Amino acid sequence: MAFQILRKTIHLLFQTTSSLFYGFSFAIIASSLMKIKLDIMKKIIFIFLSLIIVLSTANAQKGINFSRKYPAGGKLLMCVDSSAKNVFYAHVFPNQPHTFFSYLPEVNKVSIQIYFRKDINVHSYRYTILADNKPIAVNKPIDIAQLKDVTAGDEEIFSSTSLGIFSIKGKIITTLIYSIEKPQDIDKSVFYGKPIPRAKIQGFSKRFKTDKGVDYKWITHPKGRTNLTFTNKDDELTIVKDKSDIDYLYYTTIKDKQSNKIIFESTVWQYGGLVEEHEFLPNIKVDKNVFKKSGDYEIIIQPLIKWTGCLDCDFSQKDIEKYTTRYTLSITLDEENYTRKELLIYTLIVAFSIGFIFLAILYFNKKRNKKKLAENEQQKNIAKLQLNSIRSQLNPHFLFNALSGIQNLMNKNEVDNANKYLSKFARLTRNVLDDKELIGLSQEKALLDDYLQMEQLRFGFKYKINHSQDLELDNIEIPSMLLQPFVENAVKHGISQKATNGEIIITFVKHANNLVLTVTDNGNGFDTEKKNKGLGLSLSDSRIELLNSIYKENRFILAIQSTTMGTKLSLTLTDWL
Amino acid sequence: MMRAVLIDDEISNLENLRTLLQKYCPQVTIIATAQNVSDAVNTIEKYLPDLVFLDIQMGKQTGFDVLKLLPTRNFEVIFVTAYDQYGIQAIKFAALDYLLKPIDIEELMNAVNKAEHKSATQIQISQLDFLLQQLKKPETNMSKIALQMQSEIRYVTLSEIIRCEADNTYTHFFISSGEKILVSKSLKEYADLLRPSGFLRTHQSHLVNPKYVKSWLKEDGGVLLLISGEKIPISKPNKDTVKQALQQL
Repeated sequence: MAFQILRKTIHLLFQTTSSLFYGFSFAIIASSLMKIKLDIMKKIIFIFLSLIIVLSTANAQKGINFSRKYPAGGKLLMCVDSSAKNVFYAHVFPNQPHTFFSYLPEVNKVSIQIYFRKDINVHSYRYTILADNKPIAVNKPIDIAQLKDVTAGDEEIFSSTSLGIFSIKGKIITTLIYSIEKPQDIDKSVFYGKPIPRAKIQGFSKRFKTDKGVDYKWITHPKGRTNLTFTNKDDELTIVKDKSDIDYLYYTTIKDKQSNKIIFESTVWQYGGLVEEHEFLPNIKVDKNVFKKSGDYEIIIQPLIKWTGCLDCDFSQKDIEKYTTRYTLSITLDEENYTRKELLIYTLIVAFSIGFIFLAILYFNKKRNKKKLAENEQQKNIAKLQLNSIRSQLNPHFLFNALSGIQNLMNKNEVDNANKYLSKFARLTRNVLDDKELIGLSQEKALLDDYLQMEQLRFGFKYKINHSQDLELDNIEIPSMLLQPFVENAVKHGISQKATNGEIIITFVKHANNLVLTVTDNGNGFDTEKKNKGLGLSLSDSRIELLNSIYKENRFILAIQSTTMGTKLSLTLTDWL
Repeated sequence: MMRAVLIDDEISNLENLRTLLQKYCPQVTIIATAQNVSDAVNTIEKYLPDLVFLDIQMGKQTGFDVLKLLPTRNFEVIFVTAYDQYGIQAIKFAALDYLLKPIDIEELMNAVNKAEHKSATQIQISQLDFLLQQLKKPETNMSKIALQMQSEIRYVTLSEIIRCEADNTYTHFFISSGEKILVSKSLKEYADLLRPSGFLRTHQSHLVNPKYVKSWLKEDGGVLLLISGEKIPISKPNKDTVKQALQQL
């Protein structure tokens, strides 16, 4: 498939070319494509060569491999030594459409043939051959008698002749071919048998603004490393190369050593301004803004030859390095230039880091505050509840009224009763002062008994404390003073108004693994939905919350049912038994 | 001979008070008792007693409610309470008498004696009015205090009091008008009473209204200079609290 497309491309190119000859305009086009389509190029050449092989076997000559034909630019083909490797052929250069360059470092002899299409007027062609710039032949017409008909694979027949076999080792053979009908279009093919010289930087110059215009500051014959400072006034850097016959061969790149990125590339040399030995020196101009940052930059000048990937080359990086010139420019910018992208990135980085730090501070602050707050809150809660629990366990109103009741017994001369109630009072107070975490159920029962009897002294109601038989009252412990606040509520809000008709029933019941404690009174009840429950009840709520946070395995569930007929409160200690 | 009504929601308290009065205060005749607010109002209106023993906390209502419901109050009141901080505070501000349960016999006799010898009943009536007014306000917002002098009751705005100074069991009040009032109660009592209103106990014998403090002098380890030019000593244990309180102003 690819093959067919190639053939079509070739045909198309042949047809559209303005050249009248079949010639090897093909090679020109192909080599200009080379950069882009190296693979294609290989195949094109291969196709072409396979055609040539058939044509040229008869012309075989010792030392030169006529089976290997290379395009050599213009209308030329060349054959080189059978042993020669690294044949870099027919390079075309920017702005030099008629100059072809073949680098033949390992070739001893080269044979050059010229091919004409049948419709070309061969008579008008002239050729010049130079060996090391000395003419061997000058403006010679083509020897028509030597022309032979050869085919190029398809029907078309070409007229071809040899321009000669040349010794190339250490030499440069140059051919110039033109038609007298179009003397300006000279096809120049250079066969380079010498090593390509390394380029040399003759000088750097900085252009700066002055009152009158601009002026230049020079650094001539720089060493491998040059320091350069750009101030505000400087605007341009000029790099001057040494003069050679093949300036067009060299191209320049500038690499940022920090990022290892190529920031500048130029294949074009300018002439003028600088003269050495009556000749203009090639130079390139680089805008200051190419250098965005202070730092080291590498200026690399090397031949514009595709060293690798060609048909007959085997070139290592080390070999290539022989042809490469490297200079380091250490540039200091008075004012750092940043690209928009860099600026954006830096801005973003700074913004993000500030943002991040800010967020982090905020987060940790918040966390710390929260923790502190929670700690404070908890401590406060605990302290408050502990304090409140002591207060709520026996409220002072009860305390002093109870004492008043005892005083009454004394004043009535009921000494026995006064003794009895005084010891009950003492027992109650002692229990409160003990401040135990847990208390046996039997003890709790006795406590409530004492408490209710004291309250009975004040209000004269009835009460009962019942428990289910399967409860071992002595062995089961509950948080101390758990029920007292509820019982107190039952007395205060439940039956204190009912005098002797009042009744309070307390039960301890086992429900599976749960312990259920209930306090029932036959008072007038209250609205359980009401927000401001009595102080006693809201305390109980917070106390139960605290208990739930302490006894995480168990849950304390408080349920209150209240009607006008009475109130039933039940406290379930789940999985307590 | 004083005709008395006893009001308390607990029967045992009534019994107790009756026994004590009969035994220690023969000049008092108990003409009726009541166990709730409405009964109390009716009883008082019916018997027009000279003296009322009034329990403050009565179930969900208070003895103050009884006073509020009476259109006229031509009687002496002795409050009786087991525990009622706010009520007692207000009673103290009004310089009225109260008894704490269980009842101290000596205090009972004193209170009854005082009531018996109070010639101008009118004074207490205004004291009761004052008390009821005070009760409408939150605790820290008491703006006036009743000062019991020998023959009269003076109602003094707290902001008028520059300072108080102890004189044994008596207390001198220095008023911004330049007047000096002697009250037969200890400074400690007034210190407790006026501390919630911002008064500073700088010294065992001195209570100062911070409003009248000009500066803190460093001489002698700390002295308060008042706007009036008087210098009030600050005792060592009170230094920090006084300093803190003054900084917060």
